[in-house]
Amino acid sequence: MMVLKIKNLLINLIPSLITIFIALFIGAILIIFSGNNPIEAYAYMIRGAFGSKQNISETMVKTIPLTMMALGTSIAFKNQLWNIGGDGQFIIGALFSTSIGLSLNLPSWIMLPLSLIAAFLGGGLWSALAGWLKAKFNANEVITTLMLNYIASFILAYLVYGPMMDPNGFGFPQTPLLKDSYHLGLFSQETRIHMGIFVAIALIIIMIFFWKSKLGYKIELMGQGEQVARYAGINAKKMMILTMMLSGGLAGVAGWNEVYGLHYRLMTDIASGYGSMAIVIALLGNLNPIGIAISSFFFSILLVGGNTMQRMTTIPYSIVNIIQGLVVIFVITRATLFKNIGMTKLKKLMNIGNKNMGETKDVK
Amino acid sequence: MLNNILTAGFFISVLAATIRLATPILLGALGGIYSQRAGILNLGMEGTMCIGAVIAFIVAFFSHSLILGVLAAMICGMIFTLIMAWLSVTMKSNQVIAGTALTILGTGFAAFLYRTVFGVLSLPPQITSFGELHIPILSSIPIIGPIFFQHNVLVYLAYFLIIITWIVLEKTIFGLNIKVVGEHPRAADSKGINVAKIRYASLMIEGLYGGLAGAFMTTAYLNSFLDTMISGRGFIAVAVVVFARWQPVKAMWGALIFGFASALQIRLQAIGTNIPNQFLLMLPYILTVIALISVSKNAQFPSAYTKPYSRMER
Repeated sequence: MMVLKIKNLLINLIPSLITIFIALFIGAILIIFSGNNPIEAYAYMIRGAFGSKQNISETMVKTIPLTMMALGTSIAFKNQLWNIGGDGQFIIGALFSTSIGLSLNLPSWIMLPLSLIAAFLGGGLWSALAGWLKAKFNANEVITTLMLNYIASFILAYLVYGPMMDPNGFGFPQTPLLKDSYHLGLFSQETRIHMGIFVAIALIIIMIFFWKSKLGYKIELMGQGEQVARYAGINAKKMMILTMMLSGGLAGVAGWNEVYGLHYRLMTDIASGYGSMAIVIALLGNLNPIGIAISSFFFSILLVGGNTMQRMTTIPYSIVNIIQGLVVIFVITRATLFKNIGMTKLKKLMNIGNKNMGETKDVK
Repeated sequence: MLNNILTAGFFISVLAATIRLATPILLGALGGIYSQRAGILNLGMEGTMCIGAVIAFIVAFFSHSLILGVLAAMICGMIFTLIMAWLSVTMKSNQVIAGTALTILGTGFAAFLYRTVFGVLSLPPQITSFGELHIPILSSIPIIGPIFFQHNVLVYLAYFLIIITWIVLEKTIFGLNIKVVGEHPRAADSKGINVAKIRYASLMIEGLYGGLAGAFMTTAYLNSFLDTMISGRGFIAVAVVVFARWQPVKAMWGALIFGFASALQIRLQAIGTNIPNQFLLMLPYILTVIALISVSKNAQFPSAYTKPYSRMER
């Protein structure tokens, strides 16, 4: 059973690896156009991601929030709800948890779980708002979650430039630091990798069991279409709001992770555009928790390595965004593409993983 | 401060800016009407606009011709939207995800192209943008003149395209075909209308409009390119299409509302109000949500909205 599962997982990895390979190949062509050597560029990327203890730690540091957010995204996507507001939910989650951390004086063993719950609620409510607007007014969640991203980032900017600004911060747009006892522990003083990784691992395990639970099953059923859900006697509107709440909650936890594990304060650029990357990761990982963890790791390599590549060559960092976009395009087309080529066996395998996104359903 | 607001000059400048700032959203929305009427929701408009903005800038910079820049932007917008057509019509992929992918791809590619062409410069390269074109006689009418008749040529073009869009959709066979394909692709197919062809065509037209909207940002609104210059305008345009219930004239009103919110924010910031500017900056985005809520409940979406068509399936 276990062997079969691992085998299945490995076979499922093949199409993803091909996808990544094609995206990197097109990226290489663009790199040639920009007057650089693609092999050298990708070598810098690998060196940037794995070159030293610090680099490996940085890659892991990025993997943690990306995994959390993509797990959140996957919940909504399974329900065919296109939550693309991860950044906004991340910001509100970070905001809720920072406010608690800055205003309450509690032992750290109470504060850490409490701030995590606050972050979950913050991100969850922000996202549930979009879910509610969809359930109540039929407002397209793609547009509302996106607009809520902009609104959240302006709320954040207002607070860190105004009421929450560090009075001793020389006017930098950031809040004061959380007190030392609230910081998540580090593994070593030389690197930034912190205990948040255990929260991420816990979330991966929780999500594996979540999809086996009754609630998880209901969400998957909802994704099969409204009719299926109706036959199963599911209250679609309630589920819609709940799904969005859980989805945004995890993005909020990613915000908590960045504040309590990495920066220890809020600043304007805290979300750093993880939201759109989380979408790509969730899709590349077939909305499967393990797949998501692996894809997150791959995208952290791109992120951290991409920065090094930009420093060492004249290749703009935006090549990473292009590769992201290409990955999504290949993920959504590969089932049909392989069918046309005649690789029926591979296609069959991919249909297992792709049933939630290969085919279009009514998304209005 | 209130004295500064309650002046004729303030109102005139806000209203004139409203018309100008509504232009890119109007262009994007008019384009979106074609494709959404045909049953395709293209969220890649944001990416198309970015491509249009950067292409218009680069071509205009090197050719010293703004017209050439705008034309190149429109053609590139069309080519870029072909990817959406291929994904949504031929590959029958999920349109929301395909559109999101194109947005990521388009914004990334625009930034990449700009850096590759110009490198990292301390001073951003600039072009001479379209100047104001004063309409004779009309522009000298007090109040009305400065508000309506002292704009650059692309603004007039955008408002003129409302009429063109309306005529194409309501008065031509092509427009009728678009609507039939969006409402009832099977019936269209049985009448011998090529569903895929009509959907490809409507998306390509949308690409032309989207490219033009992007070009407006670099050649008429500003005279340089910024990575962040589209900042959600493409998505707002998509929202306006729904808000306008797929009608060109209503799309103009939708675009004007957002233009007004942006104009008010810029003007109020300029004269220095006590309202924190982040709240003013939020205004267009909040309005989008409110506008969407107010119409979505009763909106009559085209019946085949976001549904790929396949002859085999029933």
